[in-house]
Amino acid sequence: MIDRAQYTPGPASGAQIRKDGEKWTLILVRELRHSPEKVWQALTEPAHLREWAPFEADGSLGTFGNRVKLTTVGAPALHVTETTVTRADAPEVLEYNWGDHDMRWELEALGGGTRLTLWTNIGRRFISMGAAGWHICFDVLDRLLAGQPIGRIVGPDARKFGGWQRLSAEYAKQFAIDSPNWPRQGDQES
Amino acid sequence: MKIKVTSIYVDDQGKALRFYTEVLGFAKKVDFSQGPYRWLTVASPEEPDGIELQLALNDNPAAKAYQQAIFQQSQPAIMFFTDDVKGDYERIKARGAEFTKPPTEVTGSTIAMLNDTCGNLIQLTQLARW
Repeated sequence: MIDRAQYTPGPASGAQIRKDGEKWTLILVRELRHSPEKVWQALTEPAHLREWAPFEADGSLGTFGNRVKLTTVGAPALHVTETTVTRADAPEVLEYNWGDHDMRWELEALGGGTRLTLWTNIGRRFISMGAAGWHICFDVLDRLLAGQPIGRIVGPDARKFGGWQRLSAEYAKQFAIDSPNWPRQGDQES
Repeated sequence: MKIKVTSIYVDDQGKALRFYTEVLGFAKKVDFSQGPYRWLTVASPEEPDGIELQLALNDNPAAKAYQQAIFQQSQPAIMFFTDDVKGDYERIKARGAEFTKPPTEVTGSTIAMLNDTCGNLIQLTQLARW
């Protein structure tokens, strides 16, 4: 049994960034030892999302055309955005938006498991923090799927983890971008 | 308790940051995000540790309706005080801002109004010396 207190994220891996004009996209790949059907359920159903995702959903993300309210967990002000599921080809491709982030999930069967890929656009300043945050979310997802949930680690909970700071710095180094200064009063850079 | 920050809704935070810094002359103070939520504030260089102005993304339909209604009534969404409204008017206008009211004397002050291009009217106020 893996305990939340004993959880430490591994090294930064499986992430790339892509720049298209001013738009930066973070691409994260994770291999999970669970079937695409099982992963799909965890990506789409509110009760499963609550165990690992950085937002609450008030309805299923697994049906094309569904309008779902997403609440960002741990944001410094109540932050709710409405999304419409624009693609839901179970258990392979899922697309919706989270605020101004386009979310595209791809699930490929791999042996008995799944290669999960997330594409999401994110501002350059925040891209290494986003990679670190999703890395931890995927670790939590992996444990949830294994039947050993350790509870969602997002927002302020993620930042309290020493591993988050380290991961964020490692991803910044991998992406060859400046390490984020978070959040620093008097930060005058643009 | 202290009044430390006030907020204005903007339709695009990147565009707003450029306008509030490059056109109005404020300085970025805090900028961090969590998922699509971005906490972004500016402060006056004359008062770097003074009250911050949060540039909040207006992705709330109720807030949008309110913002558009008061804009159409020519009501300012926020007011900044200055010691030199005419000088600020010339300086900000030269940087391309559109003023809906040039410096105009009213009871107790001289005011000017400009469009922040992000959905708001901003009033500049210079108090009269009595």
